[in-house]
Amino acid sequence: MEGIGGYAGRYLEVDLTTGKHRVRDTPRAWMRDYVGGTGFAARYLWDHLTPGIDPLGPENVIFFGTGPVTGTLGHATGRLVVASKAPLTGIWGESHVGGQLAPEIKYAGYDFIAITGRAERPVYLWIDDDHVEIRDASHMWGKTTRETFKLIWEDVGDDSVQSAVIGPAGERLVRFANVMVDFYDAAGRTGMGAVMGSKNLKAVAVRGSRGIKVANFEEFYEVIQRIYAKATTGEWREIANDTIRGYGTPYLIDVMYSIGRLPTKNHWTGVFPEAEKINGEALKAVRISHKSCFSCFLQCKYVHHVDSGRFACTLTGGPEYEALVSLGTNVMISDLGAIIHANNLCNEYGMDVITAGKIISWLMEVYERGLVTEEDIGGLRPKWGDVDLVIDLLHKMARREGIGDLLAEGALRAARKIGKGTERYVIHVKGLEASAQDGRSHKSIGLAHAVNVRGADHLRGLCTYDELPWAVKYAYERFGEEEAKRMVIDDRLDPTGKGYLTWLTENFYSIVDSMITCKYGAMWPMIYYYDDFAPWLKALTGIEELGSERRLALAGERIYMLRRAFNAREGVGKEADTLNPRFTEEPMPEGPGKGQVVELEVMLREYYEYRGLDWETGWPKRSKLEQLGLTDVAEELASLGRLGE
Amino acid sequence: MAAPRMMLVADFERCTGCRTCELACALWHEREFNPKRSRIAVLRDPERGVNVPVFCVQCEDAPCVASCPTGALQKDRDSGLVTLNYDLCIGCKTCVSVCPFGGIVVDPVSNKVIKCDLCGGDPQCVRFCPEEILHYVPVTVANLMRRKKSLERIPKLLELALPRVV
Repeated sequence: MEGIGGYAGRYLEVDLTTGKHRVRDTPRAWMRDYVGGTGFAARYLWDHLTPGIDPLGPENVIFFGTGPVTGTLGHATGRLVVASKAPLTGIWGESHVGGQLAPEIKYAGYDFIAITGRAERPVYLWIDDDHVEIRDASHMWGKTTRETFKLIWEDVGDDSVQSAVIGPAGERLVRFANVMVDFYDAAGRTGMGAVMGSKNLKAVAVRGSRGIKVANFEEFYEVIQRIYAKATTGEWREIANDTIRGYGTPYLIDVMYSIGRLPTKNHWTGVFPEAEKINGEALKAVRISHKSCFSCFLQCKYVHHVDSGRFACTLTGGPEYEALVSLGTNVMISDLGAIIHANNLCNEYGMDVITAGKIISWLMEVYERGLVTEEDIGGLRPKWGDVDLVIDLLHKMARREGIGDLLAEGALRAARKIGKGTERYVIHVKGLEASAQDGRSHKSIGLAHAVNVRGADHLRGLCTYDELPWAVKYAYERFGEEEAKRMVIDDRLDPTGKGYLTWLTENFYSIVDSMITCKYGAMWPMIYYYDDFAPWLKALTGIEELGSERRLALAGERIYMLRRAFNAREGVGKEADTLNPRFTEEPMPEGPGKGQVVELEVMLREYYEYRGLDWETGWPKRSKLEQLGLTDVAEELASLGRLGE
Repeated sequence: MAAPRMMLVADFERCTGCRTCELACALWHEREFNPKRSRIAVLRDPERGVNVPVFCVQCEDAPCVASCPTGALQKDRDSGLVTLNYDLCIGCKTCVSVCPFGGIVVDPVSNKVIKCDLCGGDPQCVRFCPEEILHYVPVTVANLMRRKKSLERIPKLLELALPRVV
């Protein structure tokens, strides 16, 4: 890769069935068209997976990806993407995580690692620069994630080695098992840990010593000082100090309470009266240290230690905002010690806190409504706020014991098995339980959940400009008055223009996820945009096309559309772009969003137009695919009868 | 009398372990991104979130200088730097063993030793530390900073509400 900076220029393929591996060159055209990270994952999985395969079968691929900025000096360059066909949803699966593993993959000389097949017995992958070895992991099998990190250090004799590990939940193919990195950072969503478990792959451990080149040092040094100053001085620094840097994501508890968007009681309402018991300020009482992902200018990680009471001696990173909701407000628990303990259980077992919590809140609601009896659910009598029940169920799901075996399949599968109208109360999109937002109090996030390629989740398209009254001005500054007005950015309760807004946001986040940098800095605070990323990427990589804002935006659209096409190829179209009637039919009962529902169709229509999707079927249109240079994708979809127009 | 010496000082209690300093250091000296070629390294305990930045502290009576068999390492009395002359260095790595702090590093590419040279008076690790815990200051200021740090250990006194005069 003469002259190209940022990229390693090679990638690694491992087949656990044959035990063989090979190193290949990263295509130059991929860098230009798909940037890296999520973009590479989308292209690779499209090329290598056959539609209809079992996500837990050996033919599935698990992809550990980096982007051009990974491991270089810049904001949040430690992000890793883990992608695969998802066991929880059967569609596109991806989850991103910070920590410090991704740079190590790059330093070992790889842009990404793609693993297929299935080992005969538990193994872990040890990568030490060019040395690639499939090692026995039988002594790690059954161990928690925390124990596994330490066992790997013992095994390789170096406690600076970075790894991605699964816990007992991943081993037992819990469909929402996560992949943990750097002790407490989780690639949480869509069940990537179960894919590893299905391959008998306990961990991927990496040590690298190769350098990453910079294409133009002088140019890069100038750009990166600007990038650095933007996040660490002035107005953005003050905002970060009061929010993400000062408190981590738990600061969101107060913010969401203030706009009535704090999911409570299985997303029934957006108001939790005891929010202040579990907010960022409350967490300070048990904070023991401030931690960071690799090369981050915002620094939002805190480690907590509960030192008294029933849950004394619990040590864990987080809880993040999402866990405070899924294991707190949404199950009506305000005991911070209990939430931290439950969060730690999820971390140690290796389970997604969001899905795990949302399964429990679903069970609480269907039991309260009398849809199920104790006999239907293993003798349990779930009630709101029951700490013992939450903890008991987390153990049972992770170990697949009793009712936990059914719940380990995810809320939607469990509801379909139980029947009795319980499916109505599974708050999900495409089989992925909803993360902690509510479209009734913030219309654009309703749409963003409904159309997200991985299911009900905020991280592919949550817009923050329209979220808070005082953030609106940044939209005017960035997009200009005409555009801001077109998106009715001033009114989060008005669905007008939100289809366009969500399309714009998704395209931008596709670039964030491909570079890869963090949503914190791009989503909130909205410090960086294309005009920061383009010169940054250009100076780093030397690739002209990456220095064009217009081309970057187009690449973002391409990367998003390819993932949409992946789902279409699996037969998932318009019928899945929907929301639970809770959001579309039940008005928000109280708070600032009182009386509101999500007017999904009007937003969806606008969104489909911009995204280039067929209104009847939801399939990608040929014209749009061709405009994006995805002609081969259009041909394949056409052959399956899943092409729009 | 000359101006007081400058020194690199770390408020290590506040280090978060992001390792941005390592990237800035390696980029400046080696023109590439590679923490293993950095003169500064953060010793991390990710489980507890404890992090300690380690670098050459330019000792006055430096064991590396005393033990260097070829005289490649010298104490420069004017600048205060412990300097490394590659024309004399034979790569024996004795200095790595004798440094009490682990401040001297073996470069995995050249297999020679590398150490902090304070970037000629503009340490890049200081420039890019997002938590602003690294400082390059006159020794007199460094003293003051650590004294102030010790004051933080009596937080109750500091948190007393002060009487309002008006």
